[in-house]
Amino acid sequence: MPNHLTLEIVDEDLAMREAREGTSESRANFLKKAVFAGGTLTLGGIAIGGLPALSFAQPSPSQDVQVLNFALTLEYLEAAFYTQARNLTGETREFARVVGAHERQHVAFLKKALGAKAVKSPTFDFGNTVTNQARFQATAVVLEDTGVAAYNGQGPRVTKPVLAAAGSIVSVEARHAAWIRDIVNQNPAPKAFDQAQSMSQILAAVRATGFIQG
Amino acid sequence: MSEPITLDQVDSDGAIRETMDAVADDSRAGFLKKSMLATGGIVGGAAILGAMASPAHAQTANDVSILNFALTLEYLEAEFYTEAVNMGALRGEVLAFARVVGAHERAHVSFLRKALGSAAVGKPSFNFQGTTENQAKFKATAQVLEDTGVMAYAGQAPLIDTDAVLAAALSVHSVEARHAAWIRHINGAPPAPTAFDKPKTKDQILAAVAGTQFITGAPAMTAAGGSPSFTG
Repeated sequence: MPNHLTLEIVDEDLAMREAREGTSESRANFLKKAVFAGGTLTLGGIAIGGLPALSFAQPSPSQDVQVLNFALTLEYLEAAFYTQARNLTGETREFARVVGAHERQHVAFLKKALGAKAVKSPTFDFGNTVTNQARFQATAVVLEDTGVAAYNGQGPRVTKPVLAAAGSIVSVEARHAAWIRDIVNQNPAPKAFDQAQSMSQILAAVRATGFIQG
Repeated sequence: MSEPITLDQVDSDGAIRETMDAVADDSRAGFLKKSMLATGGIVGGAAILGAMASPAHAQTANDVSILNFALTLEYLEAEFYTEAVNMGALRGEVLAFARVVGAHERAHVSFLRKALGSAAVGKPSFNFQGTTENQAKFKATAQVLEDTGVMAYAGQAPLIDTDAVLAAALSVHSVEARHAAWIRHINGAPPAPTAFDKPKTKDQILAAVAGTQFITGAPAMTAAGGSPSFTG
């Protein structure tokens, strides 16, 4: 499976810039800026200004790094959400246990693929969405649907090896979305075509949750 | 694609409207349709749909081959669900599943045929070997078909040449995964059995489809199908 994905795919420019800048700015701050920056988004040290929805810049190794770090950030968020969840009962508890394990595997996979280029995990505050079952369920639906839209939006922007790996994750996110939707009696597959969202759309949605603290 | 594409620009012959009408019995699809038609503009996944629906000549021969492979699988799924609903053997959530998913698969067929234009393969004839007239057999078969659909799209996506075709395939791929998880949940099977779904090649998928013996005849000369024949 995608375990053999190696990002040999080395972005020399980014690597050198990171080396120059050292660690004067913590990764967490970096990411915080990435998520909170307004018009121009920076993530993994790359500026992504004014991305129109669903415009597909030519795939490149440096863009792969940017996209994989974007995906890693979302997976960090999901993994932390499920790992921190408590007071759950019944099938919701089972869902959180199984899906949490998947998200942690996605994190591990993406970190391995990115190697030294991997962003660090932000810190999160999920409030009562991880302590109240109804809030947890509603949030899980949004997070999983968002994950699907995020991966679908990035597919045309990455090189083929990364696309293959992302493809093996996106359908699992879609399975999670359908599962939690069925648990809460929402249509598991509400549309014939899932809608993609751009990186800036997703990050705006993530920012709006207030889950990322730093 | 910095500006919204209007439906009329890309849907001069109304095929997308027809597709949306066809899935209107799904309330959420109906909502989507209303929101799209109300604004007169389509965004996101629907923009992909529009972009792909207009210029078939923009596709490569490779993409045409992949889309026809996908179309054949969608014909099979669409026919399976349409027949199962019409046979009247399904009950409860299984019936709701078959109705919603059948509408989706028919929308995928319409979309792919529209995208392929005159290059679209015709619909084969099918015999579902009794799986559409028995709820237990239907449930088991639906699970296999949907999991297979997920693996098929996953296998083909990295082989697609054109961005618009890829984006459209991805928007279908995740819906197939939702279907798979849904029927698995109904069946008491793990909806998401692994952290990474495995892709399969076209040859692997075609061998699996051949193994079902569901396809009993070559496509007709044109894709214009008549009323479905019920094979049980």
